[in-house]
Amino acid sequence: MIARRSSPGFGRAANERTGQAHKADLCGRADGDFVLACAGSDHLASRLSTAFSPDFTLTCVGVRLALLGGTVLKTLKLPQGLFKYQSGRVIALGRVMLATMYLLALALGRSEPERVTAATYALLFLYVAAAVGIAAATWRNWWLDARLAIPMHGVDMAVFTAIVFSTNGSTSPFFLFFLLPLLSAAIRWGWKETALTATSLIALFLIAGVLVADRGSFELERFVIRSGHLIILSLLLIWFGIHQRLSRIFLTLADYDSGLDQEENPLHRALGFVVQACNAGGGALMMAPTGEEACEGFSTGPTGLRAFSLERPIAHDEAYSVFLYDLARDRAVTRLLEARFHFVPASRMLAVEEALGLGAREGLVTEVRTGTHQGWLVLWAIPDLSTDFIDLGRELGRVAGAILDRHALLEAIETGAAARARLSLARDVHDNIVQFLAGATFRVEAIKRAATAGAKVGPELDELKRLLVEEQGEIRGFLLALRRDRELELADAVAELRALAERLSQQWSVDCRISTEGEKASIPIRLQLDLQQMLREAVANAVRHGGANRVDVGLAVERDRLQLRFADNGSGFRETTGKDLAEPWSLKERVERAHGSIRLVSEPGSTNIIISLPLAGAAA
Amino acid sequence: MTQVLLVDDHPMIAAALEMLLRESDYRLLGRARTVAEANRQISKLKPDLVLLDVNLPDGSGLDVLRKLSRSRSRPRVILLTAGMDEAQLLGAADLDPEGMVLKTSDPELLMQCMDTVVAGRSWVDSEIAERTRQAEAKAASAPPLTRRERELVELVRQGLRNRDIAAELGVTEGTVKVYLHAIFDKFHVENRTELALRAAELIDR
Repeated sequence: MIARRSSPGFGRAANERTGQAHKADLCGRADGDFVLACAGSDHLASRLSTAFSPDFTLTCVGVRLALLGGTVLKTLKLPQGLFKYQSGRVIALGRVMLATMYLLALALGRSEPERVTAATYALLFLYVAAAVGIAAATWRNWWLDARLAIPMHGVDMAVFTAIVFSTNGSTSPFFLFFLLPLLSAAIRWGWKETALTATSLIALFLIAGVLVADRGSFELERFVIRSGHLIILSLLLIWFGIHQRLSRIFLTLADYDSGLDQEENPLHRALGFVVQACNAGGGALMMAPTGEEACEGFSTGPTGLRAFSLERPIAHDEAYSVFLYDLARDRAVTRLLEARFHFVPASRMLAVEEALGLGAREGLVTEVRTGTHQGWLVLWAIPDLSTDFIDLGRELGRVAGAILDRHALLEAIETGAAARARLSLARDVHDNIVQFLAGATFRVEAIKRAATAGAKVGPELDELKRLLVEEQGEIRGFLLALRRDRELELADAVAELRALAERLSQQWSVDCRISTEGEKASIPIRLQLDLQQMLREAVANAVRHGGANRVDVGLAVERDRLQLRFADNGSGFRETTGKDLAEPWSLKERVERAHGSIRLVSEPGSTNIIISLPLAGAAA
Repeated sequence: MTQVLLVDDHPMIAAALEMLLRESDYRLLGRARTVAEANRQISKLKPDLVLLDVNLPDGSGLDVLRKLSRSRSRPRVILLTAGMDEAQLLGAADLDPEGMVLKTSDPELLMQCMDTVVAGRSWVDSEIAERTRQAEAKAASAPPLTRRERELVELVRQGLRNRDIAAELGVTEGTVKVYLHAIFDKFHVENRTELALRAAELIDR
């Protein structure tokens, strides 16, 4: 029976990366021959999650034994990462346990081989010895693990056929053995290899069935049921193989989303993340603009962080996008998606001198691409480097690229915001200072002409002087605001607004008062300049359009917004000739630029303008 | 005495001009602060001369000029501006107002301009004339429209929205936006309205 984990468990397998262990969910039985366990759990689940869709885990007896073994090892406080990214180990250990168990079962006489007893015992002895030898030899040797993967796969299938054939054919208790090669293929390779393995196993099982069909012990019903099991399970594993290639996620966005610091060098940040993700002793990330060869990079190791530059990329042009390498033995292994391993000399893939210069004798190399740059990530001194790191490396490369892209995006947004702020300030300068100076110049010309004509110009000169002094104050406030840090306390902003309100009261002969309520807050400089301008425009509108002699300004901070309310006692916001409510154009435009909203409640005798501005977004 | 209407939203400029014209041969009939107000005041007051600012709160002074240029009898117009970008300079050159003066120039030049325009001739500030020449040279040297851009401009001229243009050309709305902005940049056009207005000129290049 195959049990599917219920939907709430979706994605839990992905969390295995964080080392959290989940308890096994279920063990189902089917006709007494094999057990399929649906487990969400332990370090094995993370391994299996590389073979299946993250929301499925599937184990057989052999693998379950490995799971139990893993649990025991964990209980003995052995390293957590013993089976993490180690499908080769799981398969080798599963093979040892399965072979040993069958040998014991035979020795205890429960399943005496029907034919060629001595040969069967010899085969099993040899197989156990080979399984132990392979497990020991490949435990820390990714090269050998990759090299022996296909030959041992063939051996597993041959042994399955021989053992089933020699122990009661279709009723053999060792029928379950077929799961080992099938799972091995699903874990190690893609769906095509799994399908090939499944087809071979089914064919072998059917041939064995036909060959023993004339013997008295043949049970047609059991043979058909088992053939059905074999086919259904094969189809499921092939499906898992296809699915896992599409949905394999070693690292999720959440892993590197938090704590992204704009100030930190993005290369440093990306490198730090991937080095930590695979627990590497050292790493280097070097990037060049797309199409160029000279690259800049950072390396990290026991001696700390170091910036460097290279004339050429560290990996050669013909190099695969991800590979494991060992410079001492001049060998490297890679594979394309869903393909078998490819073995090549490391010197053909990697610039040996540069790699040695970094101290990267053995490790993982993966390509990193961003929207504008391309480069390589080299990781070395990875504990228990295995062939699984080829796929992990591909993901790490993507994550490093995503971190760099994300940083570039944030930088672009920041630059865009700064550019918009500059434009906005330029507009303020133009609207206020340039226009004022132009007006003042016109006035001087008018006074000059009046004086030439013999008119009295004293009062005009006094008025011009007053306006100039006022404007001087405005400009000083404007420059002070520009010189300040990015934010200022609301209380300071209000003090400046009060001073402005006083000046406006004199200029427009109104009583303009400001009241505040709400919590303490900091506001962006841009918003402060906007507030001042809005106050100027609101007072001017109240006097010009409504003939008001009193304007009350209320400021309140509510959560992340600043609420601004202008209330005047004018005749309402109506145009002199029309009947429609006139829009306070410039005010509205300014509020929209600050990403705020404006509401106008106008009636004879009073006008209320209610403005809501975001405290955070106003910097843009 | 020449009847003058001022279209400008800045109070300082308005007050200064009112004073400047006080002892002159010009009489200030009134002042409009927005495009809508300007259109109304021009029909109502029928001034001989309009001093027209380009940047107004609800639109461009060029819109006022464009509307006036379609009418049979229109007042003489002097653009009075604190600065125009390339698109505005080209737009203004097309509409051919009688005068163009920078607010930042010597005010004597405004009076000189007004006198020249009232006398039936045109007067353009030398700085504006030079910048217009540069903008025209730049626009002329811009590469011609590609076939795709030509199709897109034509559809913009027909008043289609981006979504409809995308459906018409069989591309995404995002692609239409990218194309449009490339055309805006290429021909120093600010928005699709301006592009639609200049469509004929761009397509016939």
